[in-house]
Amino acid sequence: MFSTKWPDTAPVAGGADAVLSAVSDVAERSFYAMVEPCDADRFAELAAAHRDWLVAVVHFAESDCAGDVRCRLPVALAERLFDAFSGRDPEDEAAPAAEIHDLVGEFANMICGSWLTRAANERTFGLSRPAVTEAALPESPAAPGVSLAIDDQPCLVEVVFTLVPEGAAAH
Amino acid sequence: MRILIVDDSAMMRKMIRRVFALVDVPIDEIFEAGNGAEAMEVLEMHDDIDVLLTDINMPVMSGTELLRAIARQPKWRHMRRVIISTDGSAARRDEAAGLDVRCYLEKPFSPEVIRDVLNEVA
Repeated sequence: MFSTKWPDTAPVAGGADAVLSAVSDVAERSFYAMVEPCDADRFAELAAAHRDWLVAVVHFAESDCAGDVRCRLPVALAERLFDAFSGRDPEDEAAPAAEIHDLVGEFANMICGSWLTRAANERTFGLSRPAVTEAALPESPAAPGVSLAIDDQPCLVEVVFTLVPEGAAAH
Repeated sequence: MRILIVDDSAMMRKMIRRVFALVDVPIDEIFEAGNGAEAMEVLEMHDDIDVLLTDINMPVMSGTELLRAIARQPKWRHMRRVIISTDGSAARRDEAAGLDVRCYLEKPFSPEVIRDVLNEVA
């Protein structure tokens, strides 16, 4: 069972819905892809079809609040997003891994920025350059987050807060 | 029109170039830079750039630092400045308003939005 849960003490507004809206906005506007929320069973079923995964990590920070957004997705979905974003014909030669990684990093960057715009509009977070690596999907969730299907392929967006404002109200 | 695209993602620069090719706006030359420092080098070599499109969060020198440096140089006063960023927060937009930024474009964007922005600053 791959069940994820939004942190009870998140210091920003909107909860998991804000993440879902951000991913939907990014996927639909820049990648012409459809996003659906996924329950644990459906996510596990979709994830079982993929062996090769990528994870893109974007660190966000302000004076008293910081954390990471991690996007986990199969290589097949990364390639699908690459084709949509770059206009590459699937009949063409495969794109180099470095370009696929750059694309996945930008995807995560857009999700992080779009989510923070929704969830913490009064703050000006700095975002790190995305770090993209090959990493198998963990057997159970490593962090709170949202599981999704993008064009019927699995995608997991995790959010970890590493610095929380003192006395911040939970959302 | 001469345009400088500043973004640390080569993929995003490529995407913006592709959008330029789709929209019906006359463009003479497109330059690229991967961060604010590289953009300064391009600007020093080409002082006839008309439009600067810059990301904010970049390594080495951020878009905000770049815009501050440009604002200090009278020779670049003519250049129209546009931010293209994932960060659309009210706080960031307020900050940009003080940096003589003509348009603030939020990623993700559609080709039509780029076309409208170019027409507005052309």
